Amino acid sequence: MRSFSEYNPIAVAVWFFSVTGVAMFCSYPALMVISLAGGVLFFLKRNGFTHRKTHLFFWLLFAVLALANPLVSHNGKTVLFVMNHNPVTLEAALYGVNSAVMIIGVLYWFRSFTQIMTSEKLLYITGALSPKLSLVLSMALRFVPLFSRQSAKISAAQTAMGLYKEDNIVDDIRGKSRIFSIMVTWALENGIITADSMEARGFGTGRRTQLRRFGFRRGDILLLAASLALLGVTAAAIGTGALSFEFYPSMEMKELTFLGISGIISYAALVMLPIFIETEAELRWKYLRSGI
Amino acid sequence: MLLIKSKRLRDTIRVVVPFIAVPLITVLGALAFDEKKHIIIALAVAVSALLVFAAGFEKKSTGTRRMVIAAVMTALCFAGRFIPILKPVAALTIITALYLGGEAGFLVGAMSALLSNFYFGQGPWTAFQMLAWGLIGLFAGILSDKLLKSRVLLLIYGAATGIAYSFIMDVWTVLWYNRGFDIKLYLAALVSAVPYTVSYAVSNVLFLYLLAKPFGEKLSRIKTKYGV
Repeated sequence: MRSFSEYNPIAVAVWFFSVTGVAMFCSYPALMVISLAGGVLFFLKRNGFTHRKTHLFFWLLFAVLALANPLVSHNGKTVLFVMNHNPVTLEAALYGVNSAVMIIGVLYWFRSFTQIMTSEKLLYITGALSPKLSLVLSMALRFVPLFSRQSAKISAAQTAMGLYKEDNIVDDIRGKSRIFSIMVTWALENGIITADSMEARGFGTGRRTQLRRFGFRRGDILLLAASLALLGVTAAAIGTGALSFEFYPSMEMKELTFLGISGIISYAALVMLPIFIETEAELRWKYLRSGI
Repeated sequence: MLLIKSKRLRDTIRVVVPFIAVPLITVLGALAFDEKKHIIIALAVAVSALLVFAAGFEKKSTGTRRMVIAAVMTALCFAGRFIPILKPVAALTIITALYLGGEAGFLVGAMSALLSNFYFGQGPWTAFQMLAWGLIGLFAGILSDKLLKSRVLLLIYGAATGIAYSFIMDVWTVLWYNRGFDIKLYLAALVSAVPYTVSYAVSNVLFLYLLAKPFGEKLSRIKTKYGV
């Protein structure tokens, strides 16, 4: 019993890229709506009703994206009205809405993904790909707060020496660039010292290990298998053309076959997987607590 | 450690991806999908290019000092993205490439995109951003002899890459929005992105003008002092 974010990062990443991959590479309206609804639901499940600004930004963007297409593209049979001698068509408008649903859905997914994929998990995944890159990333991550602390120190020292004033713009810029220059020199030297110290302690002589270990447990294998299986059904449905929807020149939908319906259902199941997992974990906690 | 454990497998990927997989993806993608699916090809090519670089970097025996300096520059790029309007990322990538070589430039550009997007928002555009900044660094490294000699040429390179970056990212915007490439939408995207294009070009020129010399001095000092 783990919450979704505690699963093995590789399994989580595979699930995530299956969901967003289908959303990005296919334009079937039902799948887009499922993706957007799932993305919003998952984000709300994780964050509650906080992050108001994010929601506002996303839905404003949604409006802009939905309106952009009919103004630029004039394909389509059904003319709604004529603006500046250009026809605005129903098909182009709906195509714009469909694209906006897809983009905002993917944005919601990525927002949740960034929350789940903390830096240590990113290092775990890049470590699987290339330990060296993972090292560069982890050092850069460590340097950012280090540098900001160091520049505060440098700035304090400069102020104490009377070299730094914020009174006028020229002095301010001069002072800031001096601090920056000192900071960079210090950062490079400090980096070399770090590298020497690492080598002196035997860096590069053996296999690198990770701070946190993520085992592959039964739940991870199940999640991975379920994601791949559901993705397989959806991809088969899309690939064989069972799920195709044409906007231009006029909207045309293929009759839904058995494969098409199972494609939609398995995509919905794929999207709901983490919500199931989270709800199950929550219910179990509740049950265990009530048992005390 | 889990995915690519053996050295032989990594070497195989290094050969297979650029010479077999990328052309295969492009050709098959163009044949199998209609023009509406260009986005798949674009993303697959971007991701495999990044994977090739990762595999190549892993194989090469890069010194620890070089790697740490790359990490320092990546952290500076990350911090630089917090400056409003003017973004020094590309300029810092170019400077790194000039003094430490094209591979370090690619590394710093790509890694800064990956890392800073954890703050500025990850998305499917991350792969393209990584590739675009990485290539800016790589080419700066290849042209480093000429760019180091002439400051004017360096500033022109900065302006050109700023504009090129914006144009590349707009291709992605159109692909994402429309799935296939559409010249009308591309022109609309270019027009609506003009402020960004100008800001990229201006910040590249400005930061290269301001930082190229002092940074160059610092980096070459480190190079001579410690023999990186």
